[in-house]
Amino acid sequence: MTVLLRRGDELRLLVWVTLIAITGSVAVAATEAAGFAYSQLAIPVAFICVAVLLHVFLATRGIRGDQLLLPMAAVLTAIGLVLVQRLASSLLLQQLTWTLIAAGAFVGTILIPKDLTTLARFKWTWALLGVALLISPLLPVIGKTVNGARIWVGVGPANFEPWEAVKIMMVIFFAAYLEEYREVIARPRRIGPIPIPPAPYLLPIIVMWAIAMVVVIFERDLGASLLFLGIFLALLYLATGEAFYTLIGAVLVVVGGFVLYHTFGHVQVRVDTWLRPFAEDLRFDAGYQIVQGLFALGNGGLFGAGLGNGMPDRIPVVWSDFVFNAFAEETGFAGAIALLALYLLFVYRGMLIAVRAPTPFLQLLAGGLSFIVAFQTLVIVGGNARLIPLTGVTLPFVAYGGSSLVTNWMLVALLIRVSDITARTRGTP
Amino acid sequence: MKSVGSNVRSLTIAIAIAFLMTSVGVGYWTMVASADLGSDPFNPRLVSAIRDRPRGKIIEADGTVLAESVKTADGYTRRYTDRSLAQIVGYASFKYGASGIEAAYADSLVGQDPADPLSTWRARYLNEREEPGSVVLTIVSKVQKAALDALAATGKKGAIIALDPRTGAILASVSLPNYDATLVSDPATEDVAWQQVNGDQGKPLIDRARSGLYPPGSTFKTITGAAALESGVNPDTKVRVDDPWQADKSWGTYFVRSSSQAHGDYTMADAYRLSENIYFAKIGLQIGGPKIAEYASRFGIGAAPKCDIPAARGQLSNTGTLDRPTLVADTSYGQGELLVSPLQMALAVAAIGRGGIMPTPHYAQEVRDSAGNIIRTIAPGASGQVVNPATAAKIRDYLVGAVEGPGAFAFGAKIAGVHVAGKTGTAENPAGPPHGWFVGFAPAESPTVAVAVIIENAGQGGVDAAPLGGKVMQAALAR
Repeated sequence: MTVLLRRGDELRLLVWVTLIAITGSVAVAATEAAGFAYSQLAIPVAFICVAVLLHVFLATRGIRGDQLLLPMAAVLTAIGLVLVQRLASSLLLQQLTWTLIAAGAFVGTILIPKDLTTLARFKWTWALLGVALLISPLLPVIGKTVNGARIWVGVGPANFEPWEAVKIMMVIFFAAYLEEYREVIARPRRIGPIPIPPAPYLLPIIVMWAIAMVVVIFERDLGASLLFLGIFLALLYLATGEAFYTLIGAVLVVVGGFVLYHTFGHVQVRVDTWLRPFAEDLRFDAGYQIVQGLFALGNGGLFGAGLGNGMPDRIPVVWSDFVFNAFAEETGFAGAIALLALYLLFVYRGMLIAVRAPTPFLQLLAGGLSFIVAFQTLVIVGGNARLIPLTGVTLPFVAYGGSSLVTNWMLVALLIRVSDITARTRGTP
Repeated sequence: MKSVGSNVRSLTIAIAIAFLMTSVGVGYWTMVASADLGSDPFNPRLVSAIRDRPRGKIIEADGTVLAESVKTADGYTRRYTDRSLAQIVGYASFKYGASGIEAAYADSLVGQDPADPLSTWRARYLNEREEPGSVVLTIVSKVQKAALDALAATGKKGAIIALDPRTGAILASVSLPNYDATLVSDPATEDVAWQQVNGDQGKPLIDRARSGLYPPGSTFKTITGAAALESGVNPDTKVRVDDPWQADKSWGTYFVRSSSQAHGDYTMADAYRLSENIYFAKIGLQIGGPKIAEYASRFGIGAAPKCDIPAARGQLSNTGTLDRPTLVADTSYGQGELLVSPLQMALAVAAIGRGGIMPTPHYAQEVRDSAGNIIRTIAPGASGQVVNPATAAKIRDYLVGAVEGPGAFAFGAKIAGVHVAGKTGTAENPAGPPHGWFVGFAPAESPTVAVAVIIENAGQGGVDAAPLGGKVMQAALAR
């Protein structure tokens, strides 16, 4: 029994998750024509059971360290389930199935690598596997094109977006590589204030990143390429503290964006719809989705229309691309701020784990993984609120989609593992 | 070398700042821009009630239903009964949003009139919705029919608008070509219909009466004359007219032309009756560009009329000022770079008819609840005194002369037993034969109707338009 109580905060927080999952589901069901039926509670209850089982699993395995990440990931996933029920109820069972798979992936990630530092030893394996996975959608038979982007792999009925998994491999590879060479890279020769990076040492990661970029460009996935560039620059900064590299990165984004704008029609359309979505020629065409998204935000006000009472279903593919706008319409500015605060808290806890981790590899790993969550949230919410051009990354845990859910739960497992190692090294609970 | 830990801290701070900025952005859309987005005509929330529950009716004062929701297999859809009011009543499509009254009174039509905050609150927070009420228009069927028949008989594009100068109530508004709003609103046909009306060269979605912009031609002399009188010009002083005319050699090859190749001495009354361009060009130059600009602005040209459905602003000139003598001369007789809507000209003559008081136009007169009780009366009142009563009375007399005097151009607007004031206009335009204008009001002494007629690319210009104005005013007087 004492074993179970060791993660008492986690269990107490799961009570709140339960409340949110159940009230959300009931509120949505009550606004539907058919009304509320007790059978509809099956889904949130099933999910809560899974979350509690994960907690019991961590406790019985004697995992120490952070107790906030699991409840936070669970509450975000619960909000995701409520929104799938609200926006695309026919996909609800499928999403619950993916949640179960994600829980399995979480358990696997906690169990399988006996020692996390061994991950670093296989860094080239991760790099090659990542590239292979990225290329896989371009292969015949298994590759699939969805909404103009060839980023899917399908085996039987299950479809998977490989880049979602690649983002984690990329962080592992960069973290391992940079731990080894960061001292050389961080002490560049300087010409005046301008550092000249030691090219030979940077080459492998640049090549890895370039391959990823080329592949995503061929697969027409702007969101993934932006995320990879973000991971690359963030880890370079975390390893070296050299702000100048970040500056180079910013220049790369601007120059790269400019070149892409003039060479790829779909990039041009994205930028145009960002700059003037309400224009006559765009509002019913390429700008339709963002315009409808903004209408949804505008209907939010301070406290929102109430779950089930808004009209976010007018936004095309709202359940994956514009789930944030749907949430903001029905829970208002207050709900949107609460959701963003939840993500920021998640990132803060992840970064705290990074600061405390015992080795540079683990620090870079935790920092990079937390950065993924922060970056994806900022890029998609920024796109949804027309602060930056819209790119297709998913809102972590909340947006409909299996690949993203599974990899994000693996990400949580890795953060908990790092935190566990820290707790053991330092002898704290 | 900085430790990884300190780099993590810096990155976390940067991320927190980015989250803060994102929150501000989300706050902007949800809180600040909320009202603008909510009233955007393409926002489907405006027509939210049409699919799952009936939307309120739009009716005429006599009870004639103009728009109502009918139940179909997959929800409610809108039916419109009077195609001649397509641009006024508008459409309510779930996909393409709403326009006209459907957009302007969207809240009222879903049972959430701003004058009824309790229902609005209950609908928003308790999801209890009232049976929607109805919006009653100021349109009078008989006048509307007279206007439609008169304009349709010409076979041309154009518009006619008639209003009550005492209240600003719009009595009739026709714009041709028009479209079938039922097809644009019905989910089964909306896509095809939307493509078709948007691709149509005739621009049927545009209400030419309210949003069509035309050079006013001689109808603008009403405003030039008022400006001249209030600037101390003696209307009985004879002004020499010799066609063609230019102020001095600096105009080069440019001349003001008289429409009747006139040579003679004109008083202001003569100039109105015979619509003499050279007379108005000369007095326009005499009082100067700033005066013309001031009076155009007083009569509402260059500013959108305060109206319950949006109307065009028009313009004095491309720059907003009259900065060269030839432009002052041309503007004085209604050409130059002037652009006005028929609604603006109808309001201008309505002000002349009502002793200088310009009414505020409105298309709806009241909002009723489902039981027929009046929730809100729309009576915006006067928009202001634009000229003094003495000036208005003089111009009125000249306008009566322009209809009833010997050789008057606007004779076609005469109505037996009633004095009619009016003015024709022939608007030169780059798109082909001149547009024909008529503006006027009746009875001249105390008008109950003011009208503006535009016929695009009419054969003879204003002379073609005057009889249409007469017919519409006659119908309005008999209402």
